[in-house]
Amino acid sequence: MSHGSKITLACAGLAVLVAGCGASTAATKPPAASKNITLNVLYMNQAGYTAQALEKMGQAFDAKYAADHMHVHFTFLPYDQMHNTIVTAAAAPTAQYDVVLSDLIWTAQFAQKGYTLPLNGDISKSIANPAGIPAAIWNGFKIHGKIMAMPFLANFQNFYYNKKMLQEAGFSGPPTTMAQWVTQMQTLKKKGIVQYPYEEGWREGEGFTCDYVATAGEFGANLFNKQGQPTMNQGGALQALQFMRMLYKDGLINPASLASGSTTAADTFIAGQSAFNTNWTNVTGMMNSPSESKIVGAGVVGTFPVQPGTNTVTGTASVSGFQGLAIPANVPASMQGWAWKWIQFATSPQIQAQHLHSQWPIWTSVVNSPKEQQLNPAYAVYEKNLAGVYNRPKVANYLQVSAIIQQYAHQAIAGTIPVQTAANDMVSQIKALPQ
Amino acid sequence: MIRSEKTLRPSWAHRYFRAVSGENVWFVLLLIPAVVILLGVIVVPMLWALKMSLANTVVTVVGGRGSVGGQFVGLHNYVVLMKEPQFWIALRETLYFWIVSILIELTIGIGMAVLLNRPFPGFWLVRAIIFIPWAVPTVVNATLWGMIFNGNSYGALNDLLLRWHWIKTPVVWLNPAPVFAQIPWLSHLFSAIGSNTAMNAIIVGDEWQTLPIVAFLVLAGLQMIPHDYYEAARIEGASAWKQFTRITVPLIGPVLSVVLILRTMQLLRAFTMIFTLEGYGLPVLSIDAYQQAFSFGDFGLGSAVAFMIGFMALLIAYFYVKNLYREELQ
Repeated sequence: MSHGSKITLACAGLAVLVAGCGASTAATKPPAASKNITLNVLYMNQAGYTAQALEKMGQAFDAKYAADHMHVHFTFLPYDQMHNTIVTAAAAPTAQYDVVLSDLIWTAQFAQKGYTLPLNGDISKSIANPAGIPAAIWNGFKIHGKIMAMPFLANFQNFYYNKKMLQEAGFSGPPTTMAQWVTQMQTLKKKGIVQYPYEEGWREGEGFTCDYVATAGEFGANLFNKQGQPTMNQGGALQALQFMRMLYKDGLINPASLASGSTTAADTFIAGQSAFNTNWTNVTGMMNSPSESKIVGAGVVGTFPVQPGTNTVTGTASVSGFQGLAIPANVPASMQGWAWKWIQFATSPQIQAQHLHSQWPIWTSVVNSPKEQQLNPAYAVYEKNLAGVYNRPKVANYLQVSAIIQQYAHQAIAGTIPVQTAANDMVSQIKALPQ
Repeated sequence: MIRSEKTLRPSWAHRYFRAVSGENVWFVLLLIPAVVILLGVIVVPMLWALKMSLANTVVTVVGGRGSVGGQFVGLHNYVVLMKEPQFWIALRETLYFWIVSILIELTIGIGMAVLLNRPFPGFWLVRAIIFIPWAVPTVVNATLWGMIFNGNSYGALNDLLLRWHWIKTPVVWLNPAPVFAQIPWLSHLFSAIGSNTAMNAIIVGDEWQTLPIVAFLVLAGLQMIPHDYYEAARIEGASAWKQFTRITVPLIGPVLSVVLILRTMQLLRAFTMIFTLEGYGLPVLSIDAYQQAFSFGDFGLGSAVAFMIGFMALLIAYFYVKNLYREELQ
């Protein structure tokens, strides 16, 4: 091969490579002539509305705005990947997602860093009756007067129990106090009805923090006082940690709970392998679904047992997991209007009323509707648990705070370090965090 | 005379032109795509990450445009890391994961390679079967071992051990609890070096997947050793162990150094299996880097952790190359 031919061949090779790269880039771009508008929505596939329910909402939205060639496209991720994905997407010059599902625990961080847009203007203009959503839910997304997300999921935890197992053990109803609960668990275990009466998702993760918050609530305590100072080493918060350690030490909770999440815990409960589970509202649907549950008819939603003398107003204690729809700050101005239209549509009472089997609605009017009462016989219990929610702290460095809580609480329950030492270390480390 | 030689010596520009012209044009042109890719996917991101580690790097959205940036803070992030107890815990866990895994690979991996190097009926089939785990995607492998190590009685391993009456109650294999809990001093000792039940379980799952590639790379090295060497050693009366230590080990030194460098880099930055099974509950350095950057939003600190991993890998690789190549020369 001559020298010239070699150079020609090499140039041709390079040209093919470059052309190939160009072709690939071109293929990913939408056709210039198309007038289609795609609204990218980031949602989780773990709790709340099911993917099918969301797709149905999306189809209804597409149909409503068919003249504008609108199409809603969903990306579903596990909850644990949501925050990281939203933060990473915020680093891009232009948003990858036009609407994101935002947990209330991210409100302070997103507001401080400016990752999502305040929605005050849109809400005051377009939401005719904001008082139709309970103030407790609104508060999850409000900080310094800004509303960082429109409430979408009124998620909170319920106390689930297996009625059949309790009857077999000689109990006519669920426990109402912590002492009764322990007695029931001990009896269930002693009689061999179930090896481990209680099942939870206490693997280090946000779900574990939620369970600790709910347990502290059962003892009438918050993990942080009104001044925002951590209080895990005293009062009800410390009692809660001691209680959780006792459950593990006495074999009342399945030791596997320390290595599993809330989904696994729910699966174990609906498989009829535990008598108690505290979990998110979506477990009601799972529990009553004949295709996936072995405890249809036996699984019941109840209020949480509480320490006598605490929670006197509500008689229960739960943990909030409210989630809202937010618009990332790097969404182009041209898409912000569409993003709000979708938020308004998906959070409307009309749409929420169509998906009652999938999720507890945010609107009081829908909660009190005859359809909800017919579909969800436990709706009165839901209302009580919602009224009794305890919140996680609304601080910008919440995820660091939560990581410290998870690390030390996990070690305390497993018995690696004494409960009081773990609680003291937890408090001192949280106080040492840069503000 | 000297002056005239200096005058005749071509300038650097001339030498450069000669290097990239004539017959060399072909080679230079073919190298360009590889160089561009290496620069684009390794060198530039690495320098960018170094810059991030030397700055107070965070994600910001200003005027509707997102970006990553921050003020230069010098070595501040590295100093912060050194002061954090969490970093030292992560370092301890990472070193335990690396050392135990490498020891398993050096013993069982080489053993497997030596066995596979001997002809036996159906050895081609055995070689193919042994290689299967390497082809399993890491996430699938993690999920698979998650089911095997499930802490309930229906977990595959617990079920087996319960049936054989080796255990009385199910073991929560994926709980990072101390090992030998019944013997406090031993339990403390193992905890101090970073050992716990979950870590050991993950090492088993990871080794199941990676041992085949170690065995096959070592096997390739074994097959390059001439049989005459062993023949001569046998005639001289050398035992099998002496043949292994005096012929096999020195001659597979270069292959071993490649295997060790490759695996060290993989083990120090191991992420997928640990994160899939434990989330942030088993804080090795790679998990710490991810958590600092993506969960806490401190990309400067996250990049600093990542660079510490890289620096460790570089030091260890230098040690391997220096020692194993020297053995080959001897």
